Amino acid sequence: MSLLSAAGLTKSFPGVRALDGVDFELRGGEVHALLGENGAGKSTLIKVLGGAVAPDRGEVRLDGTPLPMGDPLAARRHGISIVYQELALVPELSAAENVFLGREEGHPLLRRAEMARAAQALLDELGSHVPAAAPVRTLSVAQRQMVEIARALVGESKVLVLDEPSATLSGPEVERLFTVLRKLRARGLGIVYISHRLEEVFAIADRVTVLRDGRHVTTTALDGVDRAQLIRWMVGRDLAEEFPPRSPSPGGPVLEARGLACPPRFREASFNVRQGEIVGLAGLVGAGRTSVALALFGALDARGVMALEGRPVRFRSPAEAIEAGLGYVTEDRKGRGLFPQLGAGENMTIAYLRFFARFGLLSLAREQVAAQEIANGVDLRAAGLDQKAATLSGGNQQKLLLARYLLRPRKLLILDEPTRGIDVGAKAEIYGLMNRLTAEGLAILMISSELPEVLAMSDRVVVMHEGRTMGELARAEATPEKVMELATGGAR
Amino acid sequence: MIRRWVSRYGIFVALVAECLVLALATDAFLTTGNLANVLRQNAFTAILAAGMTFAILTGGIDLSVGSVVALSGVFCADALSRGSGLAVGIGVGLLAGTAVGAVNGLVVTKVGIPPFIVSLAMMLIVRGAAYKYTDARTISGLPPSFASLGQGLAPLAIMLAVFSLAWLLLMRTPFGRHVYATGGNREAAWLAGIRVDRVLLGVYVLCGTCAGLAGVLVASRLNAGYPKAGEFYELDAVTAVVVGGTSLFGGRGSVWGTLAGAFFIGILNNGLNLFHVEHYDQLVAKGVVLLAAASLDRWRTESD
Repeated sequence: MSLLSAAGLTKSFPGVRALDGVDFELRGGEVHALLGENGAGKSTLIKVLGGAVAPDRGEVRLDGTPLPMGDPLAARRHGISIVYQELALVPELSAAENVFLGREEGHPLLRRAEMARAAQALLDELGSHVPAAAPVRTLSVAQRQMVEIARALVGESKVLVLDEPSATLSGPEVERLFTVLRKLRARGLGIVYISHRLEEVFAIADRVTVLRDGRHVTTTALDGVDRAQLIRWMVGRDLAEEFPPRSPSPGGPVLEARGLACPPRFREASFNVRQGEIVGLAGLVGAGRTSVALALFGALDARGVMALEGRPVRFRSPAEAIEAGLGYVTEDRKGRGLFPQLGAGENMTIAYLRFFARFGLLSLAREQVAAQEIANGVDLRAAGLDQKAATLSGGNQQKLLLARYLLRPRKLLILDEPTRGIDVGAKAEIYGLMNRLTAEGLAILMISSELPEVLAMSDRVVVMHEGRTMGELARAEATPEKVMELATGGAR
Repeated sequence: MIRRWVSRYGIFVALVAECLVLALATDAFLTTGNLANVLRQNAFTAILAAGMTFAILTGGIDLSVGSVVALSGVFCADALSRGSGLAVGIGVGLLAGTAVGAVNGLVVTKVGIPPFIVSLAMMLIVRGAAYKYTDARTISGLPPSFASLGQGLAPLAIMLAVFSLAWLLLMRTPFGRHVYATGGNREAAWLAGIRVDRVLLGVYVLCGTCAGLAGVLVASRLNAGYPKAGEFYELDAVTAVVVGGTSLFGGRGSVWGTLAGAFFIGILNNGLNLFHVEHYDQLVAKGVVLLAAASLDRWRTESD
């Protein structure tokens, strides 16, 4: 008997189809694992279930009744509770106050004692040792999670969705979480469990649904399925013709990192990148790859050794790193890359304005010429160089950021998710550009969560797991399975 | 498209319309005496607002400029009354502003306190210092040559020079572009290799120096160092900048907009005076204009 069923869910974001006709079915009294690579559509699916995102098409039924879409309050009232990856608690309030946040009891005066008692009862029932009166900021991550779960259970919860609950938990804490989940399952709750750790899925889940590229791949009982099969479902697809062939001829090492560490963001990163080479830095979201990039670029203080062309270096700011010949193209175009109110040209020249200044005054004409040249080089399509960056398409914004560092000769370019959220055509152009740049001798370190991209574009793949570089795969030995093995924490 | 046009040129249209209305509706507005008066009276606020434009473009603010007007005027007058030369007196006044600006900038960048709080504190500290330094007395007995600075068209000429320089700095130097970039997206600016701390320090030093200059001019106008001078000027300056179309969120705006904003407010006051509107009602009118300008900015930003 299905408790919750979703049919034909479709959701597009600019440049990406996050969900493409996805069906999903959850029974009462089961733990249902939801699996897929980064970007497979898991997060969007649970956001639709929780009402945080309204689908373009499709419907969700609870006990056979259609739910209003895109209405988080309605979803909660009907008994769907979601514990998102980033815990959404108010640190200064107590555990009890957080448990009842938004559903306080008592008008006009809060019944504080009553709520505190009820919250404590819930927390005890979960078997957690969380004092309800303690401010959340004093609690450990595991305890906070228990507060989140208790919060999800206030009122009549029927469906509990946990988005990577174990990502920040230690082994024994995960065990305790499982004990709680089994208790809730016995009560008849339907539980959706998202995790990248396959061993956990086998330990707790009854059934599994696999998504890939926004599509439903399979839903099946876990009995009789093995790890290799799950991985095949998750990654199994042809590396299509979308990737241009690479013919690298690497030269000497450009960048070398040894024992680079910046706890707690990442603990041990060792690898090198050679001239004319693309090194893919693979791993799951949260493995610490972006932090490694920021540390290389002088944007994060890190311990360890870093050498550029054999000479030890230590950059105290991105300005110094750029001066030395590095470039970093962010994964977060809007937040950390673009100047939305400046024109396309101004966005490209911003890092090197002093080259266009004479006696302190900018020569706008020379700046314009240089910007136009580089815009042609990356085949930027804009209405003009003064078109505001905010109004360009994702692909053109990405080209803009790349172009920013190509104004002067570079040694190493770090590309963080270079094709995130851009359409297929623009992707191919970015790949072509990467090939051209490496052919000219540039070294590229590419962070990517898209396995096909990592496999097709990297000459070598370095894999990170929970803040450590786990191993390195040459192009020939880099298979999806091997990368996923390392990325999920082990060779077995 | 319309939104962008309105936010960029709206203030100039409004200013022209305002002048037209007053010219047609009153006889007094379009007289040399009145116009010269309006221009001179608002030159001081406009100079403050020129500096303030930089601060607001970075997404910050400098509330200490009104107090700096007093401190710089007092220092300048004190030096002159002790027999220093004109250049020394003016230099001391300017330097006082620069120094306060540097303190603002250093606390904002090194300690990391929001500019609103830093400059609010400095507003109190500097005002207190001005009173303390003078024992709350007026410093008079200044040389007559000093008084000419604040007379006639001199303040106007100085104001135009300040705005031309400010425009050059903003639109034609790497520093100016960095100001826009820092206000538009500070994180991105830093990752693009801009030394954001230096940009902010420079901005507050500029802001303080403009205030120092305004202080000297006000002292010359009054022909005295007066520790109460410049009260609420910081609010007039912010009003001029916002009415002039510069976004309080940073990253967008222009000095010419600020100039127009300053005169829009100044002429509004003048017009209300000519119509014999009471001072209290004038305050209300100014408040309404400020709200309208800020709403316009909000409306403009929504389209981004």
